[in-house]
Amino acid sequence: MSAKITRRDFLKAGGLTVLGAVGANALTKTAPDHSKHESKILAAPALQHDGHDGTLPGTVGEVDHEKNGFNPTDLLTDFDEGEVSTLPNGQTLREYKITSLNKNIEVVPGIEYPAWTYNGRIPGPTLRATEGDRIRIHFSNGSNHPHTMHFHGFHPGAMDGVPGSGPGGNVQPGDSFVYEFDAEPFGLHLYHCHAFPLARHIAKGLYGAFIVDPKEGRPPVDHEFIMVMSGFDVDFDDANDFYAVNAIPFHFQNHPIQIKVGELIRIFLVNILEFDLINSFHLHANFFQYYPTGTSLTPSEFTDTIIQGQAQRGILEFTYKYPGMYMFHAHVTEFAELGWNGMFEVTE
Amino acid sequence: MTQQTTQPSRFTFRTLLLLLVPIVLLAGVIALFLTTGGGLDLRSAAPVEDLSIERYILKRNLIELQVRNTGPEELTIAQLAINEAIMPFTVTPDTSIPRLGRAVIHINYPWSDGEAYGITVFTTNAIAFGVDIPVAFVTPQPTGGTFWGFTLIGLYVGVIPIFLGIFWFPALRTLGRRTMTFLMAATAGLLIFLGIDTIAEALEFAAEVPGPFQGIGLVGIGAVATFLLLDAISKQQTSIAGSESDRRLAIAFMIAVGIGFHNLGEGLAIGAAYSVGEIALGTFLVVGFIIQNITEGLGIIAPVLRDRPSLGRLAIMGLIGGGPAIIGAWIGGYSPSPILAVLFLAIGTGAIFEVVYEIAKLIQKDTQREAMPMTVFSGVVTGMLLLWVTGLLIK
Repeated sequence: MSAKITRRDFLKAGGLTVLGAVGANALTKTAPDHSKHESKILAAPALQHDGHDGTLPGTVGEVDHEKNGFNPTDLLTDFDEGEVSTLPNGQTLREYKITSLNKNIEVVPGIEYPAWTYNGRIPGPTLRATEGDRIRIHFSNGSNHPHTMHFHGFHPGAMDGVPGSGPGGNVQPGDSFVYEFDAEPFGLHLYHCHAFPLARHIAKGLYGAFIVDPKEGRPPVDHEFIMVMSGFDVDFDDANDFYAVNAIPFHFQNHPIQIKVGELIRIFLVNILEFDLINSFHLHANFFQYYPTGTSLTPSEFTDTIIQGQAQRGILEFTYKYPGMYMFHAHVTEFAELGWNGMFEVTE
Repeated sequence: MTQQTTQPSRFTFRTLLLLLVPIVLLAGVIALFLTTGGGLDLRSAAPVEDLSIERYILKRNLIELQVRNTGPEELTIAQLAINEAIMPFTVTPDTSIPRLGRAVIHINYPWSDGEAYGITVFTTNAIAFGVDIPVAFVTPQPTGGTFWGFTLIGLYVGVIPIFLGIFWFPALRTLGRRTMTFLMAATAGLLIFLGIDTIAEALEFAAEVPGPFQGIGLVGIGAVATFLLLDAISKQQTSIAGSESDRRLAIAFMIAVGIGFHNLGEGLAIGAAYSVGEIALGTFLVVGFIIQNITEGLGIIAPVLRDRPSLGRLAIMGLIGGGPAIIGAWIGGYSPSPILAVLFLAIGTGAIFEVVYEIAKLIQKDTQREAMPMTVFSGVVTGMLLLWVTGLLIK
């Protein structure tokens, strides 16, 4: 508030008092209610909740998934196990081809974000291997900025993908580099670009999940879903404007994930949200077993809400007892209403 | 003499051609520029967009934003967030708004009385435009009740104080010539103070006017045009002659008009402030306001103290000076527009300073008969200080 008070301010004050005394009652009582005459909302969310006045937070319209080159629903179950062969020493070799590309992604209907991507999608491919496998990643930089791939996990320094670690730490436009290391330890990990400026390189979309299964494998479940939590700062003020799992805000609110009563669900949950300190996951009408970082086969917690800082991740396992529509969202509720909100549709 | 009168009136075909030459050349230059770009790379690195959110209207469970595209090109509204929540919305007539075009955004939103809301509108180029609703309450709609409410505001801030000032007439007309000159000078001082205040407000509103409408330019046009127009009218009246008392009456009317425009601007500001919820409370302030504006009534009658204007004329002058506050409150309350406010305030500025000029001429006539330099000085300063001090007491 400015300390400067003009004659007009004074007049406002004087005049308003009069109105307040004389007319305010009339103002509030007689104002007509126009809400009922409003035209229909362009794209009502799939969600059908009562008790509100017809409208819930959500985007207007639908993004062009085909033009984007990926659909968040498909990403849920898109695990890339690489091209598998066996090395002379008997070790399994998994080879992946990853290219960094500049690409405009329609993040919410009508708004294209000039993203930086791995293989043209956000998040990048979910790389999946078994503990002890040899990982070989043929990385090419098809964009006009230097990029890298920095993996979380054990590997030699030269494979760390950070500036100063050798040629793999600063891959120039048009260049390529092969990252090679053994997949360990088992757990749920991630990879992201580590080029300078780091925050911008992550925020622009250069990240993905990296799953290392234990040698004996994980107990079987009915569905495994990968969910990467992130956000978009579309106006470049270093604050996120939109939040989501698997990139597109409100996608799973508008397109609920279909599961059945009694099915065991496993979610690989990764948080790579830039700019905000924490992210979270809350499951409605249910509890889940939580395996932080997935590095143990024994759950550490039975809960319905967990918090993750950037690059924290964990595995969730749960089953629904009753059919119905169940929300899952960041219990940082601000994020939920800015896009990080979804639904499970549980049927018999 | 004959040469001068005949030469400029000769308008031949050749003159017409010569006049057209630069225009034809201009068309050529524009065409060249549009087709080749004139050798300049004029593509902007990022899209330049500007969306003015001119007004918000709150109805139960509904927020409406009146917006205008004040950028260089068409823009399209893509998404919208209220208090950090993405909300569905509709736009009439269309989400794409042409340059200088207007649109209304409708959002079904269960807002609560008395709370604050921040709305961010994103265009397809991900450029964000924001508006704050500091205090939410149902925007007054033109109904009998609100109409009467705004009328009362105008009555209290405009009409009543001016009539109270005019009621000094019988007492003041018994004063001597020197005192009357002092009062005229005080009126001039009063008006100078009001004029400065009015132009400051005009400039303040001008800052809110969308770029293409050049608020500052409007202030200049409104003020200068009004000043010169009133000056012309006054000179015309002088040439028609009439008695000196007629002339003084005319000046009193002009003072009423100038103050009227000033009060119109104030009414606009009050009405607009109410409709956006800038509510400050205190009956003390209303009382203070009446004390300050009583001086405006005094100013109107000062030139005609030595005459005997009819009661009807005094009443009309009071209405001209104070009534516009009511009209201003209506306009500001129901359809506030910074452009209108700028124009009215600029006209008020021009009118007030022209009246000061007229009063100065009247005073000069008096001082030609009897020199009284200190009377004029002290009068003007008293007038200015009167408004300053009453303002001080209230704030």
